[in-house]
Amino acid sequence: MSKVIANIRLFFQGAVLSYIALFAWLRPSTYIATKVVGPLAQILFFTLMGKFGTSGESADFYIIGNAIQITALSGIYGVTFSLAGDRWNGTLPYLFGTPANRMTMFLGRAVIHIIDGMFGVLIGFTWGVTLLGLDLSNTDPWALILVIAVTTFSTSGLGLMLGSLSLITRNVMFINNTAYFLLLVLSGSNIAIDRLPSALQAISNVLPLTRGIASARAIIDGATFRDVRPAMLEEIGIGIIYIMFGYVLFRWIEVLAKRRGTLEAM
Amino acid sequence: MNTIEVRDLRRIYKTTVGVVRRKIKEVVAVDGITFDVNRGELFGLLGPNGAGKTTMIKMLTTLLIPTDGTANILGYDVVHQANAIRSRIGFIFGGERGLYWRLSGIDNLRYFASLYHVDPEVTMKRIPQLLELVGLSDRGDEKVEGYSRGMKQRLHIARTLLHDPEILFLDEPTMGLDPVGGREIRQVIRDLQSEKKTILLTTHYMFEADALCERVAVIDQGRIVALDTPEALKQGVSDLSVIEIEVFGVPEEVMNQIRNLPFVDTVSVEDLDQKQALHVHSAKGSEAIPPLLSALESVRVGKVTVREPTLEDAYVRLVGGKV
Ligand SMILES: Nc1ncnc2c1ncn2[C@@H]1O[C@H](COP(=O)(O)OP(=O)(O)OP(=O)(O)O)[C@@H](O)[C@H]1O
Ligand SMILES: [Mg+2]
Repeated sequence: MSKVIANIRLFFQGAVLSYIALFAWLRPSTYIATKVVGPLAQILFFTLMGKFGTSGESADFYIIGNAIQITALSGIYGVTFSLAGDRWNGTLPYLFGTPANRMTMFLGRAVIHIIDGMFGVLIGFTWGVTLLGLDLSNTDPWALILVIAVTTFSTSGLGLMLGSLSLITRNVMFINNTAYFLLLVLSGSNIAIDRLPSALQAISNVLPLTRGIASARAIIDGATFRDVRPAMLEEIGIGIIYIMFGYVLFRWIEVLAKRRGTLEAM
Repeated sequence: MNTIEVRDLRRIYKTTVGVVRRKIKEVVAVDGITFDVNRGELFGLLGPNGAGKTTMIKMLTTLLIPTDGTANILGYDVVHQANAIRSRIGFIFGGERGLYWRLSGIDNLRYFASLYHVDPEVTMKRIPQLLELVGLSDRGDEKVEGYSRGMKQRLHIARTLLHDPEILFLDEPTMGLDPVGGREIRQVIRDLQSEKKTILLTTHYMFEADALCERVAVIDQGRIVALDTPEALKQGVSDLSVIEIEVFGVPEEVMNQIRNLPFVDTVSVEDLDQKQALHVHSAKGSEAIPPLLSALESVRVGKVTVREPTLEDAYVRLVGGKV
């Protein structure tokens, strides 16, 4: 069997099984509820808070920002958990004892969460349109879907990097919560970027999601994909950079653990 | 070329101790070990806790870099040709961890089959066969979290056979199992032996090593103290017989008194439920019983028996009373 096909199989099998392993404790009904009600809660909460709060942004600003931000739930929590799961299960020595391609093993953990994240965002938009009167009549749906896909990819890239980190720290939840909170504050989902101090704007600029949210707002406002293409290319680049950092960290952890004898201790 | 060739292998662990004044402490876990395992042989590594057995197996399975020396598996170097080795060996570290608890047994096997690049058709055929081999046929679709310890350990054996490895490294495969569970695993190991797999096994159960292994190496503090067939090792203590004395609480000074008797070779104490069993090795056989009993005057004594030495007795003599 050719190496390529073997790797493709490993990629998807790892994807599906690591996803099942993560959610196996949920019944399908609970799972759907989490996936459908979760996005609604996030959008309602921030939209109402934003609308009745002090800031002068429109409701659409919050609806779109939070609908896209939903992708970080799968991209950050989902992806890190599927890597941290190997630490909890004690499977790392067994994984690192196989001849499997490490890149395939690593990337496979993110795939289903990307699909899952896109699904969450679409549900978020559905709530926005049906309950909060978001107007999509001026929107090119394919351009919006493309923006969602790219943003989900880049956010999952950050998730992969945090996932590698989660293999060497006991504080997975702390890392995840910090990352999610930073995105909530700095990605422009709830606070317009130009209101942030410039030091923080610099951070916004290297985070995933920031360009995705801005592009989604532009598309819904009637822009074409061509208008947001540069921002989307940057967003892909940001995702790739995080994945590369994450992968280098993942390999480094393996090498170091073999030198120091800490494979089980992780 | 031997299947496993180990030459002067050493491994030192560096750990930091202390929080404020951090100092680096070195532990020599494997201290210059040399041995070979032949093709199709079942070779045992015995030794007290901390002797370096697991460290040895980690180095041979490419999971730990040796500090010094070399090890070749099927002619491949464990450091520089790790990937060639990985697809040809299987390994388990005793215990229940290392499986995805939220996946079924079958899903665990499917994932590891793809990690080992096993052809899907072969995987489909092999999984039921392996579940059969380890006696999990009717439980394979259940989640691993519901498995007993023995079932998890048997699933580990199935996992490590997916890619049909030539060599198996089994680190305490019967650890913590009840007698029946242990016996089931030993039967699986015998089946694998008859399929001409080369097997390196560690265990703390001497009867297990005696029953399974063709040769054993006894290691203590990172060094080999004996390497031979179980028969030859027993032969080494055949001059001795073993007197077993049941006692109910022996004070340390009485133990020392017994140790110092001229005809006593070694003494070990086995803790039984309410009582202890003293295993006294002596060349004098049953003649040693009266002086021993008078040494134990102040202690309540139960049954006294004399028996032929076992592998465990040979082991105890080699590692000096530690088990
Ligand atoms: N990761 C590690 N870091 C530091 N020291 C270690 C590490 N792993 C093992 N050691 C030390 O190395 C020595 C050998 O340990 P090892 O686990 O190889 O023994 P073992 O023969 O397998 O013992 P057991 O029968 O208890 O399993 C011990 O002193 C142990 O404390
Ligand atoms: Mg051990």
